[in-house]
Formats: sequence, C-alpha cells, structure tokens
Amino acid sequence: MPQFENVNSKVVKAQVRPGQQVASRRGAMLAYVGEVSFYPANASNAGGGMGGMGGGSGLMRMAGRAMAGEHTALMVGDGQGEVYYGYAGMCAEIIHLDGSQPLTAESSRLLAHDLSLNSSVVFLGRGGVRAMAGAAATGEGLFTTQLVGVGEVALLAHGDVFRLEVRPDRPIVVDPQAYVGHVGQVSLNVSLNVSWRNAVGRGSGEAIQLQATGQGTVLVQASEQKF
Amino acid sequence: MTQFRLQGHKVLAVTVEGETFRAVTGAMVAYDGTVSFKHAGSGGGEGLRGAIKRRVTGESLALMECSGHGTVYLAREAADITVVPLAGDTLLVESSSVLAVGPGLRTDVQFTGLRGAASQQGLFTTSVTGNGEVAIVSDGPAVVLEVSPQYPLVVDPDAYVASLGRMTQSFVTDISWRNVVGEGSGEAFSLRFDGTGIVYIQPAER
Repeated sequence: MPQFENVNSKVVKAQVRPGQQVASRRGAMLAYVGEVSFYPANASNAGGGMGGMGGGSGLMRMAGRAMAGEHTALMVGDGQGEVYYGYAGMCAEIIHLDGSQPLTAESSRLLAHDLSLNSSVVFLGRGGVRAMAGAAATGEGLFTTQLVGVGEVALLAHGDVFRLEVRPDRPIVVDPQAYVGHVGQVSLNVSLNVSWRNAVGRGSGEAIQLQATGQGTVLVQASEQKF
Repeated sequence: MTQFRLQGHKVLAVTVEGETFRAVTGAMVAYDGTVSFKHAGSGGGEGLRGAIKRRVTGESLALMECSGHGTVYLAREAADITVVPLAGDTLLVESSSVLAVGPGLRTDVQFTGLRGAASQQGLFTTSVTGNGEVAIVSDGPAVVLEVSPQYPLVVDPDAYVASLGRMTQSFVTDISWRNVVGEGSGEAFSLRFDGTGIVYIQPAER
C-alpha cells in the first residue's frame, strides 16, 4: 500500500503509522483521521535520523542550513492514521524514490516526505564563478535540498508537473522559472542566451536557460510562476 | 512537419523538424534537441504594416519565432490549452489568449465592433488565418459551443475566448434603472453570435 496518495491534484493523503512518520511543511496539514500528533521539527533532525539534534553532525547541519538560506520550517506527524496535506492551492506531485537515485529540489517545494528519507543541503555552484552568477540570476539559489533513500515525496508546483527524461545522448533545456526538481544524476548548467536584442527589449524572453545533462528525470511545471 | 500535441491539459508539446513556428514570448518551459528562439519583431511576424497596426490598436501580441529540430514544451501560467485546427478559415481570438501559431498561419488585427468597448478588451481582436494549428489558452478548460442559424448564442464578454466560423457578432445590453442604483444582476452586457460556427468560452470571468 502506498504511503502517499493523491486525493486530487492538489491534496495528498499520507499514511502515518508508528515507525513511519511523515515530515511536512509546517502548517500544511489540512485534516487528519485517527490518532496523529504533530510536533515541530527543524530540518536537521527531520530526515537526519532521530536524536541527531544534540549531536555534532546535527548542529553542523543546522548551521549549514541557516547559512545556505535553504530552510523551510518542518513538522513531523506521528501516530496512527491518515493525514491530508495541501498548500496554497498548488498542485502536489508524488515522487517514489527507490533508493537508487536522489531527488533534488528547493526546500520550499517540499510539501511532505517520508521521515526516513535522508535530507541534506547540497551546494549547486560547483561550476565556479560563472555557475554562481547563473544561480543568482535565475533566483534558484546556490543551495538546494537533496533527499536520498526509499520512500515517497510530495512536491509543490504551480500547474501540472510533467517529467522529462534526460539521457547522456539527450540533454534537455528547461526554463529556470518552470524547473521544479530532478531525480537522478543530473547536472544543471545555466546557459545565457543573451544578445544585443535583449538590451533593446527585443529578446525572445528565453534568455536564461537551464541545461540538464546526465541520467535521470527532470520535473517541470506548466507555469512560469516561481514559488 | 510541425505537430502540436497536448501533454496533459496545461502543457503543449510541439515537435519541429526544421520549420519555424511562433509562440508567445517567454512561454517555453523546456525543450530538447537544438531549438533557437528569436523575437519575431514588433508585429509578431506581420511585417511593418502589422507592427504599426498593433501599436495603434493596442492589440499587442509579443511572439517569438522557434525554429530547429526537437520538441518544445510550452505553458502559460498553468492555464488550460486547446488546440484549434484551421483549414483555410479564420479564428478570432483575444491576443492575451494566444499561445502558439503553427507555420503557414497568418496573424492580423481585426476590428470587432462595439463589444470590446464595454468588456474592456478593446475594439480590436487578433485573427489567425490559414491551414494549420493554433493553440489558445483559457482560464480553466475551454467550453466549445456550437452556433447554428436556429440557435444563436449569447455569451458573457468576460468569458469569451475565441470564435471560428461565419458569424455576426452583436452586442446585447440589458440596462435598466436597477443598474443605475447599483442593483443590477451583473450581466448588463452580453455578446450575441448569429450564423454558423464555434465559440470558445472559459469557465472564468476576467
């Protein structure tokens, strides 16, 4: 039985059982059935395993998150029952992770995920100054959240999400505003397609593009509205 | 052969094999292959005369030319998309509802008469003529309504998206003293279509 299930395109129903807690965006609970309690969690202990709070690694991770600005308040649902999650009328897309490939997305896009998934902050700007400038230009930020393990994740998007497969022989290009996240070993590079036309206000509106290469799946939303 | 294919309701996948089609500026969300995007000029590929016409009428339409080999995915603010095939006929559509125009189609500005004056859509609309496909967007799934001589159609101007066929448009007003004192039904102005054709409306009022 799947842990997460779409009630409609915007609401996700999650099964909560002892030993199977669900981490979610704080305040995203719409309703629940059964005996479920919610307690606040910060990103460092949610997903990093229990009891990581006081430990050195937990603290380090907390500091890392604060520095990276990649922080969204989380809560954990614990007990026995079903919880309905939704946020701001946005579409919720469920992604099943089989453990072989990580999911990468902005933390603000995470609606809910299995607490057993390991979450960490990764640095995007590995490509040097140029990549960093690109990340700043797209508003993506230099840091992003990665979830690893076996479990399910619900991501938020404006409009439907469609998946595009990326293979080494088939790179794809995504509008940074429509990019939601990706699964697998995909690297993103910003390509600036700016010419004199942009300077005089005659650009095609597609000046900044994200080039996705590698092996995996890119999630794209049907809108150019950033979160 | 350029092909328009809906991926779900809100994403349009266009396969291009060397041709050029036009889409609204900034509507690309993803693509594969080698595709280039270029501003289609102030007239949206309608030439100098078109550019002047659009400037004067205020029926602005910023288009870009997409050409190359690959698949382009287009979307616009999570709006629902409808693909309308044209076989030599003319589609009248609000410029704000255009998403993509296939190769071989011509766009122009047309005078719509009085209806625009009351519905804040301007006196002019965009016409698309030729053989090919055009993609239009609507707030919510578009409703297709048929008009025949026996069955004229009346629609709310705020819900009107596009129309196709041989029809005459007229303006229906239903203003009484109630509107003056602020007790109107909110449906004081309507659009009436007579003739034979199809009208696309959206389940939302602008």
